[in-house]
Amino acid sequence: MSESSMKRHMGLRASRTLGNTLIYILLITISAIWLIPFFCIVLQSFRVESTWQVGYVMPKVWGLDNYRKLFSSDFTRWYTNTFIISVFTALFQTVIVLCMSYTLSRFRFKMRKPLMRFMLILGFFPGMLTMIILYRVLKDLGLTQANAVPGLILVYIASSGMGYYVSKGFFDTIPKSLDEAARVDGATRFQVLKKIILPLSKPIVIYTVLTAFMGPWGDYVFARYISFGASAGMNVAVGLYNWLTPDQINNNYTMFCAGGVLVAIPVTLLFLFLQKYYVEGVTGGAVKG
Amino acid sequence: MAQLSDLEYLKLSKGRRLGYKVGRFFAKIPQATLNAFQRIGGALKSGVTAIGREAKDIVTTFVNGDWKTKLSYLVMGFGCLARGQILRGLLFLLFEIVFIGYMILSGAYWLSMMPSLGKVGPTETYDEIYDAYVHTYNDNSFQILLYSVLTIFFIIAFIYTWRVNIRQNKEAERILAAGKRLKSSKEDLHSMVDESFHKTLLSLPLTGIIIFTVLPLIFMILVAFTNYDGAHDGYISNLFHWVGLDNFNTLFSWKSASGTQSYAATFGEILSWTLMWAFFATFTNYFLGMFVAMAINKKGIKGKKLWRTILVMTIAIPQFISLLYVSKMFAKDGIVNGALMSLGWIDKALPFWEDATWARVSVILINIWIGIPYLMLMATGILMNIPADLYESARIDGANPWQQYTKITLPYMLFITGPYLLTSFIGNINNFNVIFLLTGGAPTNPAASSASGSVGYTDLLITWLFKISTGAESKYYLASVIGIMVFVVVSIIALIVYNLLPSIKNEEDFQ
Amino acid sequence: MASVKLTDVKKIYDNKVTAVHDFNLEIADKEFVVFVGPSGCGKSTTLRMIAGLEDISEGTLEIDGEVVNDLQPKDRNIAMVFQNYALYPHMTVYDNIAFSLRLKKMPEDEIYERVTNAAQILGITEYLTRKPRALSGGQRQRVAIGRAMVRNAKVFLMDEPLSNLDAKLRNQMRAEIILLRQKLDTTFIYVTHDQTEAMTLGDRIVIMKDGFIEQVGTPQEVFDTPVNLFVAGFIGSPQMNFLKANLEKAAGGYVVDILGVKLPLNEEQNAVLEQKGIGSQEIILGVRPEHTAVLFDNAEGAIECTIDVNEMMGSELHLHLSSQNNDKIIVRLPTVDLTKEQRESLTFGNKLYITFPAKVMHLFDPATEKSLIDG
Repeated sequence: MSESSMKRHMGLRASRTLGNTLIYILLITISAIWLIPFFCIVLQSFRVESTWQVGYVMPKVWGLDNYRKLFSSDFTRWYTNTFIISVFTALFQTVIVLCMSYTLSRFRFKMRKPLMRFMLILGFFPGMLTMIILYRVLKDLGLTQANAVPGLILVYIASSGMGYYVSKGFFDTIPKSLDEAARVDGATRFQVLKKIILPLSKPIVIYTVLTAFMGPWGDYVFARYISFGASAGMNVAVGLYNWLTPDQINNNYTMFCAGGVLVAIPVTLLFLFLQKYYVEGVTGGAVKG
Repeated sequence: MAQLSDLEYLKLSKGRRLGYKVGRFFAKIPQATLNAFQRIGGALKSGVTAIGREAKDIVTTFVNGDWKTKLSYLVMGFGCLARGQILRGLLFLLFEIVFIGYMILSGAYWLSMMPSLGKVGPTETYDEIYDAYVHTYNDNSFQILLYSVLTIFFIIAFIYTWRVNIRQNKEAERILAAGKRLKSSKEDLHSMVDESFHKTLLSLPLTGIIIFTVLPLIFMILVAFTNYDGAHDGYISNLFHWVGLDNFNTLFSWKSASGTQSYAATFGEILSWTLMWAFFATFTNYFLGMFVAMAINKKGIKGKKLWRTILVMTIAIPQFISLLYVSKMFAKDGIVNGALMSLGWIDKALPFWEDATWARVSVILINIWIGIPYLMLMATGILMNIPADLYESARIDGANPWQQYTKITLPYMLFITGPYLLTSFIGNINNFNVIFLLTGGAPTNPAASSASGSVGYTDLLITWLFKISTGAESKYYLASVIGIMVFVVVSIIALIVYNLLPSIKNEEDFQ
Repeated sequence: MASVKLTDVKKIYDNKVTAVHDFNLEIADKEFVVFVGPSGCGKSTTLRMIAGLEDISEGTLEIDGEVVNDLQPKDRNIAMVFQNYALYPHMTVYDNIAFSLRLKKMPEDEIYERVTNAAQILGITEYLTRKPRALSGGQRQRVAIGRAMVRNAKVFLMDEPLSNLDAKLRNQMRAEIILLRQKLDTTFIYVTHDQTEAMTLGDRIVIMKDGFIEQVGTPQEVFDTPVNLFVAGFIGSPQMNFLKANLEKAAGGYVVDILGVKLPLNEEQNAVLEQKGIGSQEIILGVRPEHTAVLFDNAEGAIECTIDVNEMMGSELHLHLSSQNNDKIIVRLPTVDLTKEQRESLTFGNKLYITFPAKVMHLFDPATEKSLIDG
């Protein structure tokens, strides 16, 4: 190797090392920015001295007071509500979404394209608009306020068929010839779904369950509307939000942090275990549009 | 701008290509609009001819049909029953009986009340014996409107079923004439899991969508033409009535009550901020997310999985926690201001949520914090799909990293994620969570706020809608008009993108 | 084991595109019929209509005398092998092959017997416990065939089963399919775009183009007497040569005139042309590369050409020639009889003379592209 080419080689390497160093610095900064708020929440949930703003992060007195207070508040009720809603929603929504997306991916019927276009246009309306009437109808049925849980489940699952895009994208990637082979082999359409497609669809089923579970876990708008001020019907989002209104924040801020930690833990754990499927769903869904 | 042939276009320099594309984009708008109208016209025309064809078929089936078919025009399902298809016949018959029963018992009443939305409102009489006012509640405008919409749906469903009933008679006659056998009830049931399996699968989701989305939407669109609000709830306070286009006039009139700004001005302000927000929220996330993904994916960077996991974990934490918490962090007496002041960098608190511009920039920046992990994931998936030989051949052709990005990565990403960008833009127009949980619309815009509710500088149309419908006066009619306007705005954007984007993306065809 | 009859079968897609026009064909019991044609010719669509995977827009399809238009695939008693094998990825090879039998609720003992038997015939016994992704292309192909075999179906459909294999494996599997056919002794319908496969496998070949049947016949028939330019060009490799020429009606019979060189036709050809009342006209003359006689020196009835390319194939040479009015001609020339001088003279730019015996000449009308003699 001649001297000049040696120099060039060294220069290239140096610039690459410099570039990578810059990227590491960037990534560390990003990670810090992303994680700091969550650290703060956790730290403040252990803070015993409870005025809302103290201008420092590290608690002076550590303790579990906030958690203890949580369990004597309505928080347990909200938590149970949220859990029940999420479980049922995850269950039904998954079934509905899979029915819809499988059909639109596999069957060619006359109304298929118009149906898809219709649902696209339907999605242009803000969903919140329908809440005004849904609230009143549910109220007539006695499914609001303290009884908001079944009402909310109904609202969450009812229109979930419209969110079929991601799972349809997944089904589209399973070769159609598998269906055809099975049908020639003597399977009915139902048997094709049960014996061929579903066993191959584990990732998308898990993705759908996961997103369906996480949706109501953090929903604020519908839950607030349907529970309408009745603490017994609230989910965690509505309940905790009220703790941060100007008249309550002074007493309940650290309890909000503790509540937030408890809310985040199960979802985060679930997410950690199922991350792979979530990533698959997100990337697959985006590519398919 | 005149259209160039493909080869002429390729001859242009890069800058002029861009100019050409932009010029063509605008030059095409009239044609695209015309096309859209033509398409609507064509659809109408084919709709009319379809109805004509149906009508003709109904008549000829009657004329040519046997007595079983003819009787089926009156008694649905008779043909099926007479030809031995018991299950189908019974279902048809049952549907007809239920329909007629419903129409006699209540449907006719609701329809008759629909034009007035109720005649007798709640009354208040003084009862001398009890020395108290007695309230009597009479007609219920809300129910009248709701049930008349339902009744109309029911009538449409009935007409459709009646038509199916006739078509099946014709079909049955044809099959029998060909000497073949009709399907038995058992075969009908079996077909639900086989050739008609899609109908079975769709029945549940579509029922949900019709009852919980389509019906309510039609109801809410109709509400835009009434005076339904807190003071006219249709039952307890007052009846509500049709008011024609009054509400639209209100929203678009520049006249204003004393001391407040006109609705039209407020609407304009909020709409322009909504569009601005949607634009920045979509594209900052998109490009920064892509950037982070590329940084993590760069060759030689260690711990890819760790970095990715750190970001992905933040998706798991419900937004209301992270957004509410961050909103409080940046409050006037929040931790950020506290820390900066104790460091002595500032004297008085920064007005993150108190100043209009500060607040708007802050929500966009915090939205980046929310959105990057998701975009990073998506971009990673796509970046890994770009064939490596594209980069290799670009490097051999002498492209530097920046050129590789602009010539390969970016066009590829844009091509693949075009539809996603549109959905994401629409999603941001309706991004209630981020705005409401961060600022609640604050800071208040004093000029736009009226007695009926406050309007803030960070309010989007969707949060404005929410405030109006939950505010003191609960102006549902106005909320409904705003909802319709959101639909119009979104549709226009979608139409433009769908009609114009594919044609200017030719060059980026990677498939 | 059954006959298949298609009468005026049509496939029209929603957007008014007609993929298959008036398809008429009777396939006898135990016959091996090959549909062949370029991509988009409707051959796969026709096969899929027979399988029940596509609706039949018009016409009737009968299997064993029974109209099956409205039957679901599962009720037609057919077996099918797909181009990409379509093996169920989550099942072992055994379960893949047993799938259809289990749907029929056959006792497990009998299933075991049939599956192992089929596996033995196909030589895949040792892979029965594996999942498809652990198999090579050829092995997957065998499993796909095995899955179809165990059914004892009336009709055996194969949709380009060899096109995903490499050339060597394809030749091997082709031979095995011939063997299999002898063992199964059932009706086969086979779709391919490869004319070699069609020629070697089929009892009869159906040549299709743009949704129309161009010609139906035994391999020998379609090779010897192609009814139009398309069939003539499609069957045979290398492709048949086409030259611009004139047909002249003279006193002693018809003569083909190529650039002044006159080649007489034989009696049989004369009789047909005479009977059809054809006069002098422009024609396209078709001659297969292997039927072209090469003369090293000019002679009576020899056409002068220039050599462009000389491809050495081992036992023979493929010579690419240009005639004087620039028609391209390929000639197959066995090497065994050539002298060293002759071989060395066959280089770029040198002259060469060729001629055609009457019986190898195919005459086509340039306007209708139909054969003037055959069909």
